[in-house]
Amino acid sequence: MSKHIAIIEDERALRENYGAAFRREGYAVELYEARKPAMDAFEVRLPDLVIIDINLQDEVEGGFELCRELRSRSSNLPIIFLTARDSEFDAVSGLRLGADDYLTKDISLPHLMARVAALFRRLNAMQNPQNEDNRLARGELDLDIDRMTVRWKELPVALTLTEFWMVHSLARYPGHVKNRQQLMDAARAVLDDNTITSHIKRIRRKFLSIDPNFKSIETVYGMGYRWLVS
Amino acid sequence: MNLRKQLLSVSLLTLIIPWAGTQFIRETEIALRSGQEQFLDSTAKAIADALSQFPYQMLSDIDGEPLYTHPLQTPPLIDGYVDDWNISEKAFVTIDSTDGPINYVLGQLRQHYFLYINIPDQSIVYAGSDVADRPFDKVSLTTISNTGVESTIEFIAEGPGQIIARRINGDVYFEETRIDAYWRDSSGGYRIEARIPRSLLEHRVGLSVFNAGDSHRPKSTSANFSGSEPGPIISVSPVLQSVAAGYIQPGWRLIIINNDGWRLAQVGSVGANNLATEAPQSQSGWLPLIYKLVLEDGDEGVLAEPAPQGRETQTYINEALNGKAANRWFRSSQTGRAIVSVAQPVWSGTVQTGAIILQQDTDAILSLTNRALTRLISFTLIATIAVAAVLLGYASWLSTRIRLLSEATEHALDDKQLLATLPSEGASDEVGDLSRSFSSVLERLGIYNDYLRSLASKLSHELRTPLTIVKSSLENLEHESLSTAAREYTIRATEGTQRLQKILNGMSEASRTEELMDSAEIEEIPLGEMLGNAIQAYADIWRDRYFVFKQLPEEVFVFGSPELIIQMLDKLVDNAVEFSQPADTITVSVEILLDTVAISVSNPGPSLPQNMRKELFDSMVSVRTGDSNKHLGLGLYIARVVAEGYGGSITANNTEDGVRFTVTFPTKNSAGKATSAHHST
Repeated sequence: MSKHIAIIEDERALRENYGAAFRREGYAVELYEARKPAMDAFEVRLPDLVIIDINLQDEVEGGFELCRELRSRSSNLPIIFLTARDSEFDAVSGLRLGADDYLTKDISLPHLMARVAALFRRLNAMQNPQNEDNRLARGELDLDIDRMTVRWKELPVALTLTEFWMVHSLARYPGHVKNRQQLMDAARAVLDDNTITSHIKRIRRKFLSIDPNFKSIETVYGMGYRWLVS
Repeated sequence: MNLRKQLLSVSLLTLIIPWAGTQFIRETEIALRSGQEQFLDSTAKAIADALSQFPYQMLSDIDGEPLYTHPLQTPPLIDGYVDDWNISEKAFVTIDSTDGPINYVLGQLRQHYFLYINIPDQSIVYAGSDVADRPFDKVSLTTISNTGVESTIEFIAEGPGQIIARRINGDVYFEETRIDAYWRDSSGGYRIEARIPRSLLEHRVGLSVFNAGDSHRPKSTSANFSGSEPGPIISVSPVLQSVAAGYIQPGWRLIIINNDGWRLAQVGSVGANNLATEAPQSQSGWLPLIYKLVLEDGDEGVLAEPAPQGRETQTYINEALNGKAANRWFRSSQTGRAIVSVAQPVWSGTVQTGAIILQQDTDAILSLTNRALTRLISFTLIATIAVAAVLLGYASWLSTRIRLLSEATEHALDDKQLLATLPSEGASDEVGDLSRSFSSVLERLGIYNDYLRSLASKLSHELRTPLTIVKSSLENLEHESLSTAAREYTIRATEGTQRLQKILNGMSEASRTEELMDSAEIEEIPLGEMLGNAIQAYADIWRDRYFVFKQLPEEVFVFGSPELIIQMLDKLVDNAVEFSQPADTITVSVEILLDTVAISVSNPGPSLPQNMRKELFDSMVSVRTGDSNKHLGLGLYIARVVAEGYGGSITANNTEDGVRFTVTFPTKNSAGKATSAHHST
């Protein structure tokens, strides 16, 4: 049975394009142009994954509202923000509301497909018994690649998909410097330097909230970052 | 000409007041003087009428050179010295002689004539005991009485000292003991002073000097007269003197002259106390100058004095001697005092016997003009200075306000502090209006600037959705079956959108950097180490350029976000690479200046246009031609945002062979007050 994806996007052309792309991949797609009709439909049945634009017609922050409502109904429904708004503030707000990923519209369709697939894979892994093989352990760090979950000193670290991929890229070869371009490729996104910087910052902060002595991500000035195994 | 100078020249107009005042004073003076002239004229006419009764005292009917005897005040000592005569040196009469000029003067007091003569003589020949044989130096006075009797008085000496004059009357030759005489040798000659009773010299008197000469020079005779008969002897007439004294009033001088101009009487004095002591009395240097500028000119005051040699020769007096009344006025250039002088002919019947000169000191006019003038000048000078000072102060105040306003406006433009309050904004005058207009212009400029600054991010925002539509459509299109040609076009369209995307990213980067400046965490950064690493990385990226890093011997610490500072450096190096050629050397250097640290990036290449150095760092401004694809003019703007965000500044300068960009930051010590590190890796 094919997965149901709901796309809420007020720009018709974009909506249709995304719909066409997902359908081609074999997903069942439902398209909504505003929060109201989407919510009405979700009353009847929740989709398997939701892609939301923040700015929905008259509602400037309608996407956020929609995310909040959906999260209250289901805690593990994958939600992706796909928006033109690229400010740091919006990204933080979106992720804080429980979205699994915050993407800007720069992202290419193949990348989007990859992310959606990754999210479904994670969902799958969560529901099925754990497969021990697909893990990456570096000192205190423990990455579950299927579930895309991260543990630091046995404690879970809540990373978004982008952040997970970045940590994965850094931790795979500890000590090797990853420059911004490499991190960008790993995250399968077109991001500018500042966005990478703020992602790294956010990742550090998340680890630090668990372990105030976290120092494993080192900045190499002018080049990039590397993972240190203490 | 600035405002201050303009108002200062306007203030000079107040000088019209003293000018008008002096014009008035001059008019008054002229009126007063002409009144006085008329009065003196009529008085002089009356005196002249009275003097017509004395034709014999006045009339001189003898031809020839006269000898004038000056009235003396006190009898001089007969000692060969003239000092006690109290007579001006100008009174001396000169006769030429072979050995030089002979000077003599005659005086008269009561019943005596006095003679003083100074004779140059190379070799004095005294009379020997044998008087008759040899010629010797002598001075003779020849007199012819009105009855035609001729007699001669001779002064000869056997040696210097008291001498006895000899008198020759026809053939009779005797020593005249009534005459006192003294012979005194002097350097280059001799002098004789003598006192002769009046009765011995009558009617016609001539003076002659005989020089005996010596072996080298012949003997010679010099005389005051030419021809065979001497001229008349003229002296002050006691009768006329007493008549004149009857008319005289204080401040007047009356002079009676005969028809030849010789002075027969002189009474009274004008400005005696002033004219004689003019020089010390003139108070300060500027007063005579002011008189000269302001008051009407007259002849020099000393010219009004009686002629020292006894004969009045001034033109107005000559007019009177020719029978025509005349007047003249004089002014002392030093005191400003004026003397009015009138000359009136004296007639006895139809014969002109002489003339009188009546002079009056215009003391009244002087004191009026003097005091008024001084006060006028003082007051108007004070007023002019006061007006000029007030105007100067006012102009200074006004120009200061305008200057402050213009400086503040310039400042506001330079600092981009376009909403700053300008001086004089509250003032109700035109400067206030100007200030308010400036304020509103600046405010509008500020709004416009803000708009420009946010334009890039707004634009990138707005363009993102349509771009995404194009891009996603193209990506969908790739999955459709297309002809080869159509696929070609799709690829091109994809390339185009990728470029467009890059541009949009660049545009949003600037606004993202601004955002990050507020939220980025600040760390204490070892600047040298960080730059060193970064430059290594640049050398890896751009292998066709050389990178030189001039580091400080000691590590410098700054506060900031390393990513942002690196980003700023990225932009500067990016820019340097873009405008240099392969194999060029790009130099990065760090310098410490007081409590700031300057990071410079220099590269050889085309220089910057002089007038665009500041605009260079504005959003979306590109002043040089570069790779237009890459160069949107946002890189340097981002560098500026970072530099200014950390309290620093960024400047661009042309160097000898290229361009240098310099970022100045506060060092850790000076920045510590504003920020603190709360996190570090």
